[in-house]
Formats: sequence, C-alpha cells, structure tokens
Amino acid sequence: MMAFRELSSLEKSLGLKKPNKYSTQGDKKVPVLHSNNGPALVGLVTIATHLVQEAKRPKLLGGSAEHKALVQQWLEYRLTKVDGCLKDDIKTILKDLNSYLEDKVYLAGNQFTLADTLMYYGIHHIIVDLAIQEKEKHMNVTRWFDQVQHYTGVRHHLPPVVVLRNRVYTSGHH
Amino acid sequence: MTKDAVQGAAEEADQAQSKKGLKKQQKEAEKAAKKAEKQAKLAADSQSTDEDDFAKDRYGVPQMVQSQQKLDRVLVRVQKLTPEKADQLIWVRARIHTSRAKGKQCFLVLRQQQFNVQALVAVGERASKQMVKFAANINKESIVDVEAMVRRVEQKIESCSQQDVELHIERIFVISQAEPRLPLQLEDCVRPEGEGDEDGRATVNQDTRLDNRVIDLRTTTSHAIFRLQSGVCQLFRDTLTNKGFVEIQTPKIISAASEGGANVFTVSYFKTSAYLAQSPQLYKQMCICADFDKVFCVGPVFRAEDSNTHRHLTEFVGLDIELAFNYHYHEVIESITDTMVQIFKGLRDKFQTEIQTVGKQYSSEPFKFLEPTLRLEYTEGVAMLREAGVDMGDEEDLSTPNEKLLGRLVKEKYDTDFYVLDKYPLAVRPFYTMPDPNDKKYSNSYDMFMRGEEILSGAQRIHDAQLLTERAIHHNIDLEKIKSYIDSFRYGAPPHGGGGIGLERVCMLYLGLHNVRQVSMFPRDPKRLTP
Repeated sequence: MMAFRELSSLEKSLGLKKPNKYSTQGDKKVPVLHSNNGPALVGLVTIATHLVQEAKRPKLLGGSAEHKALVQQWLEYRLTKVDGCLKDDIKTILKDLNSYLEDKVYLAGNQFTLADTLMYYGIHHIIVDLAIQEKEKHMNVTRWFDQVQHYTGVRHHLPPVVVLRNRVYTSGHH
Repeated sequence: MTKDAVQGAAEEADQAQSKKGLKKQQKEAEKAAKKAEKQAKLAADSQSTDEDDFAKDRYGVPQMVQSQQKLDRVLVRVQKLTPEKADQLIWVRARIHTSRAKGKQCFLVLRQQQFNVQALVAVGERASKQMVKFAANINKESIVDVEAMVRRVEQKIESCSQQDVELHIERIFVISQAEPRLPLQLEDCVRPEGEGDEDGRATVNQDTRLDNRVIDLRTTTSHAIFRLQSGVCQLFRDTLTNKGFVEIQTPKIISAASEGGANVFTVSYFKTSAYLAQSPQLYKQMCICADFDKVFCVGPVFRAEDSNTHRHLTEFVGLDIELAFNYHYHEVIESITDTMVQIFKGLRDKFQTEIQTVGKQYSSEPFKFLEPTLRLEYTEGVAMLREAGVDMGDEEDLSTPNEKLLGRLVKEKYDTDFYVLDKYPLAVRPFYTMPDPNDKKYSNSYDMFMRGEEILSGAQRIHDAQLLTERAIHHNIDLEKIKSYIDSFRYGAPPHGGGGIGLERVCMLYLGLHNVRQVSMFPRDPKRLTP
C-alpha cells in the first residue's frame, strides 16, 4: 500500500502524466511494475529509477560518477535501514543522519536528487511523531526534512510537519 | 634384606622426620619470642608514652555536656575566621569534615554549616605525638571543640571556604563522637551531576540520600537550598505585609473537600471522619466575607494524588493569597504577580551566594522575569501550541508536556521564565470559579508558570450565593457539606480572588532543580513517610 502511494506521488512530482499500475510480490509486498515494452520491474528503487528515466530527468540520479554512487548509497540506506526499522533503530538513524547532514543541504551534497524524495517518504512517519525537543535535538535532519517537504511537488500524499524556525530548548533545563 | 635392615631404615626415616619437626618447632619458638618481645616493647612504649605525654590535658573526650558548667569561652564562627583574626588564639566548635594524618602532623578540615577551614595538629611544643594520633583517629562528622591559633597562609587553600587562614590546633576535645561508618559520604552527595561517572566516583542516588536525610542536609547544597527557601517565605510575608495583608491561620482538619473529593486524605475524627485540607481555600474566602480584605496564609496542604512524579508531594507548604478587589480581577493578578516579582528580586539580590552554591552542583540558567509580568490568554497559548504542531481542543486542559512546551515557546518569544496564563476554560476549573461574562466557555481564572511548570492556580471566586449554588450543583457537590461555606456569601460578600502557590515548586523552579524532593526537607510522597 505505502509503496504504491509513494510511487504514485513520485510520478506526480516527476510530472509524469499517465499513472502506472503496480502489483506486489511476496510477503514483504515488494512493488512490481509491468511495463509494455520489456520485462516487469521489481523493487521500489528500481521502479523509481525507471520513472526518473522516463521523465527524462536523469540529473535526479546524480551528475558525476561519484554523485551517482552517493545517490545509490542513500537509496540503499533507505531500503535497508529505514524501512521496517525497529523503535531502537530510530535513534541511531536520526543520530547518524543528523551528523551526516551537518554540512549538507541535500543527501547527496548540494543538489536535490531522488535520494531526498525517497528518504523523505521513508522517514516521514518517524519525523511526524517526534516531539519538538527531539526535532530540535536533530536539527540538521529537521532542516533537511523541512527543505524537502517544501520542495516543489514532492509532498503530495503526506501531511506537512511543523518545523519551528527558532530553537526553544537552548538551555540544559528540561 | 634382613629384618634389622628394615628396622634401621625405618628409624632413619623417623629421625629424618623428627629433625624436620625440630627445626620447625625451633622456628616457631623464635617467632613467638619475637612477637612477645614486640608486644612487650609496644606495651613498654605505650606505658612510657603514657607517662611522658606532656600534652595529655590538651585533648580527649570530656564528660558529656549536661550543662554542668557555664564557661565564659567564646566560640568563634568558622565564617568569621579571616586574616583579621590572624595570630589570635580562639576557640571553635565544628565538625571533622575530613582528616589526613601524615607522619608527625595531621590535617583536618573543620566544617560549620556551609563554611570550612583547614586545621593542623603538629608534634611540637603544644602537641605530643599521642595528641596528633588522637586527632587523626577522630571519626569523620564528629563534633569537636578546638583551641587554635589563627595563622595566615601563603597560598590560598582552594578546598576551603576560609582560604586565607588555617588553624594551628593547641587543644582538641571531642564533644560528640560520630559512628566510624557513615551511611553515605558528604562529598558523594555534592558531586555535580555526571561528573563522578568519568573517574568512577560514586554519586549517591536520591532515595539513599532521603533515607539518610539528616546527613544529606549537612551538605553545602542542601544548606543553600533551605536558606533560599526560608528567604522565599520571608520575602512573601514581608511583601504582603507591606501591601496591607493580614496573615491568617486556618484549620487543616476540615469537614468537606474544597476542590472535588477525589484527592483528599480521610482521617478518622472521633465517631465520624474528616479530611486533611487540600488548600485553605474556603477559609481564606470566609475571611474576605468577614471584611479582612487582604489575607495570606502559609501552611501545610495535603494532596492524596497517587502520582509519583518529579513535582508532586502529598504534603507541601502552600502560600495562599486572597483579596477583595474593586471592579476587575486583574487587580488581583497584578497584586500577586507583583508579589512574585518582589520575591524574585529579593532572591536575586540577597541570595546570590546560595544560588551560586546550588549552581555548582546543579547548573541552570539564571531565572528571568519581566516587569510588569507577561499575561497571555488561554486562547493565545493554545494558538502558540497549535502553531508549533500540537493538536489540542479549545477547552482541553494543558497536559504537562504541553505546559512545558508552552513555557519554552514563551521563553523563546518573550525571554521570560515567569508568566500568567489567563482565562482558562471553565470546564477544567473548580466549582467556585467565576465564569467569564463574555464567553460562557471560559472563566476568570489563571495559572502562573515558572520555567514552564505551574506554580500557582487562582481565579476570581463566585461571591454570589445563588450562582455558587448553581455551579456546585453542576459539579455534583453535596450542598449539605458546603452549607456553611455558601452561607458565608449570603450576608454581603465583596468580589474577590486569589491563588495558592506551592513553596517547594517555587524554590525548585527558581533554582532550576529537577525534583521537588530536593527542596522539601522531609518529603512526603505516596511511597515515602519517613524520615
């Protein structure tokens, strides 16, 4: 279900006019796209990559070889670490992402890529539940998240998350 | 082999064995002899020292003080031991904070309340070897009387409050001996949070400290906290007295619960039962009806809430205010907030040492407030919370997390740790709260917050017997039980309002502490009834 909505939002954000039809495969409900010309595509990242190509926006997959590799790395991170993560893992994910994003606007540096969109979709359920204090504690993640949710055409099916611009937990007192 | 040969071999073996045994015996005998010699020497030593201890009148454990004699001796306060007293021979009564013997001398740190001074007993003209040994063996926390020469020191003694002098002890007497083993160490109680972790030093957890409260209260931090608390009470009294208030005493054993019956303690009262007062609410209002005009009350209040949180006690000290006003209950708010501001100012100006002492163990930002005090309406507060992404209803009460968050938002926007939230929804307030004339959903009631936590709850009260009865019925209160209360308003009652403050919470939040038990001398909560 979630993957379908995510892919359909992605289609819209890429400006693809004709919506595709998806099915699922296996226990983990891996999305499958049956295309007219060629074999079926399996898996969220594979399909997403395909959609980007179809929309003729290859830059979303990265410019240089290095950039491309970074994008792939974060797409993989999304699938392996974020999806189906346990409560205990959330802290680690937020901590890691927060320190990684300290000096970056987007996941793969200074350009918006597919990694940002998919990570945003994947992490939304975590961020939406965070208390203000938690959001402030992971302020780099929150800043990135706010940037992405306001990026033209990305948000779609997900509710906006309030992000305060000022820090309110500046002192040690709680 | 012949029989003889066999025997011979056996004898040989025997002999060999006995030889070994002999040696062993000899050795043991030698050892014993040595031991005896040593003991004899020791005994002789002690005997001889007993004889030639020239200082034996200068130390010891005198008779228990049972008021046998009234000495003219002046005991100087440790705090007064400054360079001006240098080269004077003085008497001090203090506790042994620490002692450290090193060869012919023994260093002591003598403590009196939050002050301490270094003292030294050294073998010399005034002190014998035995006296130094005696001093070194006095248990920690014992109380001693000391006669000593005050000496200026070259290098400041960083570990003591009296840094410029030390005491050269000439006489030392134990007035009260402490047990050798203390249930906890004072140093472990004042160690700043988190500091002990690195070097593996112990910190004492709160329950252990409260179990041994008498010792825990001896720490500099505890002393500072309770001096400040005493200051809050005094500032509260002084400010209100200056404003023309009268201090009243109200009964704590009452016949009916003032704010709903759920959280009151029931006590058996001869053939019937009574309650412990949750607040002096009804009585201070009755005083207003009796024309006392402006009253306050400092005393215990009881809450039977089974909540084990950092800020709930079952018995705490309530600072209650009630006053008649002319036309608008904001006159009351202004009077109370001004009182609070006077307290904050008084603490800031007169208790800086105490604030800093507490800050050494529990660091926090200085308390900030505005003058005049910020007043927000409930709807504004709710709007601020919604803007921050909190989902809540118009007439919903503030949850603790939201309360704290709102405190944060207010601090960020207005830079104040103290503010008033006015016009609470009527539904979440007690029956005697005056409804808002413009909007039936709201009421003329307010809470005051320090660092985002509620310290005062107050309102304009209903002074009309008719309306009061209606509201009581609406809240399903047995009219029979509050008859005398409602009746007090039948014979002319001025419009009035007030509020009640929790003393412990004010101290806790002013100092930025995390647990109300730290500011209650002998805290009472659902799980603690002793000490």
